[in-house]
Amino acid sequence: MARELIKIKGGAGGFQLMIDSSAELSDVQAELEKKLSEHPEFFPKGTEFQLVVADLSKSVRSGLQEFLTDKGLSVTAGARQPVRRQAQQGKGAGRGMQSTVQAAQSFQSEGGSRLAGEQQVMTVINRTVRNGEEITSQGSVMICGNVNPGAKIVAAGSIDVRGNCRGIVHAGAMGDYQAFVVADRLMPMQIRIANLIARSPDNPEKSDYAEKAYIKDGQIIIEPIER
Amino acid sequence: MSEVIVITSGKGGVGKTTTTANLGVGLAQRGKNVVLIDTDTGLRNLDLLLGLENRIMYDLVDVTEGRVPYKKALVRHKKYENLFLLPTSQIKDKSAVNPAQLMVLCDELRKEYDYVLIDCPAGIEQGFKTAIAAADRAIVVTMPEVSAVRDADKIIGELGRAEKENINLIVNRIRPQMVESGDMMDMSDIDDILSIKCIGQIPDDEMVVTSANRGEPLVGNPKSQAGMAYDNIVRRLLGEEVPFMTFARDGFFARLKKALGI
Repeated sequence: MARELIKIKGGAGGFQLMIDSSAELSDVQAELEKKLSEHPEFFPKGTEFQLVVADLSKSVRSGLQEFLTDKGLSVTAGARQPVRRQAQQGKGAGRGMQSTVQAAQSFQSEGGSRLAGEQQVMTVINRTVRNGEEITSQGSVMICGNVNPGAKIVAAGSIDVRGNCRGIVHAGAMGDYQAFVVADRLMPMQIRIANLIARSPDNPEKSDYAEKAYIKDGQIIIEPIER
Repeated sequence: MSEVIVITSGKGGVGKTTTTANLGVGLAQRGKNVVLIDTDTGLRNLDLLLGLENRIMYDLVDVTEGRVPYKKALVRHKKYENLFLLPTSQIKDKSAVNPAQLMVLCDELRKEYDYVLIDCPAGIEQGFKTAIAAADRAIVVTMPEVSAVRDADKIIGELGRAEKENINLIVNRIRPQMVESGDMMDMSDIDDILSIKCIGQIPDDEMVVTSANRGEPLVGNPKSQAGMAYDNIVRRLLGEEVPFMTFARDGFFARLKKALGI
């Protein structure tokens, strides 16, 4: 199979499901199954998918609907009505404040893949994220507290830590190269952006100013910022 | 008003049981009615540190399964008659007691005693979940060591998920010399990560080992720095404002003696 039968596009909250209109239902299902099982943390029950390709045959469409409903996911056709989205919370995020907010303009990537005026999800964690906790978000994450060693933040968008960042942070986890990580003290075990990984030096220095990590020329670079 | 306090740590060997024994004796010395519950079923030690092993008749599992009323299983301390131990079974394992049973028991004990201290097993599995279920307050014991601090962090997260908000920290086995020379994490390093209220800093002290072997907790012993540190924690638990002690370094002659091995 040379061509991709399906494409899942995420990042800006919710997912868009693009399907090759000539594909067989069984192939699509197999492919979808594979994609969903690769990143189960991104597709918790209740996640909504927008079907982007309109000219699917009725049988394929209804078969797909059934397939996803069985998994606890839902499909909406086209982008006719705005999709209501929820901030996804990590396993350990039962406590503290979480809210969905309209993302600030600065969080929109300039990549242009996102629709203008589209809502973006931001998960706000108002506490310290401790060892063993994992926060995942389909949008961006802001943490008002520390990210301790052993904690992991995975976001399809960007990550802002208003405190010390010592855990593992993964921004742009669905492949957004424009995503970035900002922290008051950026000294994480690893920084991952899209499919790039940078690990901390073996003798880490204490950071004492705010820094930003982003991709430039195919590399993760870190530079001090004012804030 | 009575309080149920769980002493926990995540990592083993940091001094949970020693702390429980010393705080229990310290509270009893100050006239409080105290029950210590050992929840480390299958690996019980609290009775040894209190020197009460030979007096055990019934255990926690007998009580939670309704074979005997709790009064029958309580072992009175030989020196302090307002201090009691509820030992656990050495034969059963952690699955023998569940959180609901311990909550019922603690509610009973609240009526009669001022303090119920629960000695938690190491780990984050069922034994831990049982031990913390009834607690109003948690004391997390750690050591100035990366692994112990890392585990304490995890435990604080777990306590948060169990909606335990009143969490205090005790840092055990501090070696002032090593801290001074930069070879050991100091309090600010630990506080930086754990960021919870510290109620005790206990220096490493050989007398803790000898007192454990004799079954006599050393809290309040003026000859021992650790004993005094434990006494300070007891006073803080009772609401006093006690400044943290500065650890006196050994004098010149003491160090000379050590160096010469006398």
